[in-house]
Amino acid sequence: MSARSQAADYVSAQGNYAGSVSRFLAFVIDAAVSTGLFALGLAATSFGVQVVTGHSVTWSRSNIVVAIIYAGWEFFYFGYSWAASGKTFGMAVLGVRVVRADGAIADPWRGAVRALAFPLSFLLFGLGFLGILVQREHRALHDLIAGTAVVYAWDARAARLRFLAREAGAGTLGAAPGTPTTPSPPG
Amino acid sequence: MTDPLEALAQRVAERVIDLALDVVDLNALVEAIDLNAVINRIDINEILKKVDVSALINQVDINEILQRVDVDAMLDRIDMNDLVQRLDIDTLVGQTDLGAIIASSSGGIASEALDAARSQAVGLDGFIDRWVQRALRRKHPAPSMPPALFEGQPVESQPPDAEPPDAEPADAEPADAQPPDARAQS
Repeated sequence: MSARSQAADYVSAQGNYAGSVSRFLAFVIDAAVSTGLFALGLAATSFGVQVVTGHSVTWSRSNIVVAIIYAGWEFFYFGYSWAASGKTFGMAVLGVRVVRADGAIADPWRGAVRALAFPLSFLLFGLGFLGILVQREHRALHDLIAGTAVVYAWDARAARLRFLAREAGAGTLGAAPGTPTTPSPPG
Repeated sequence: MTDPLEALAQRVAERVIDLALDVVDLNALVEAIDLNAVINRIDINEILKKVDVSALINQVDINEILQRVDVDAMLDRIDMNDLVQRLDIDTLVGQTDLGAIIASSSGGIASEALDAARSQAVGLDGFIDRWVQRALRRKHPAPSMPPALFEGQPVESQPPDAEPPDAEPADAEPADAQPPDARAQS
């Protein structure tokens, strides 16, 4: 694949259903970030309690209260992100976002429903996520319940220009002036 | 002796010409002339060969002409969107300093790494998807994007309550029709 056709693929992928790798990487980032923030919150709480009361507080993973708070926090992290902007931090990094099944911007309530249905996809050994691989529109169980889909939404045109600019700076583009290019879709 | 006679002859000639001009109807005379026939007999190319175009251009005040041009009105008549669509951005970025400007203004290690990660992820997505499609032996390629995005509208510009003309129910089996830029290898 030439540099130009690779750069053109950036644009032609925009709006397509996002695949399993992008979505999995986004989830890994989100899981790490949300869990890290939660741990930071617990540490800050412990420090505050220790300063005020003088007693040290330790949090146990097996503590049901901590587990419930953690579940609530995860719901807030994902639900608020999907409802507010259609993407979490990890999705923004990978350049994907949640849209309505027909491609329009998802209503905020769909983000909340998606966050509520998200744990269901983990049931039965994660079979709910199998839809990302085998479903024609790459929709997982929580997508089908909430009526949503995930598409590539990063600024592919700007990325393509940056890519071409870097290639031009490296002097590699001049070697293949006649390389065919994929026409960019409008928009 | 000759000078008074010449002066007299000239005065007589002028008087005669004046009288003749008064009598002759010049308009009728011009109408009677077949100008087309006259023009056909003129070899324009031969005349143009004798014209010193460079000298002619040197006499023209280009600045004066340009000052009379209404550039705004001219620009209003140009379809800029159509003009931009015709630009070969790849060549423009690759062969001009525009590439360096873009790289210096928007490029950075972070954006470069992000672009690379995203493009690698997109590539792996396509690779896995192709293998899954082969394993499932699907005869008809899956739609590459939601119907509202077929027309190339950015995701951000799709209003939440927009109903695309050919929108299918969320869980309906998608049609076999492929969008223009459906994945080539799927």
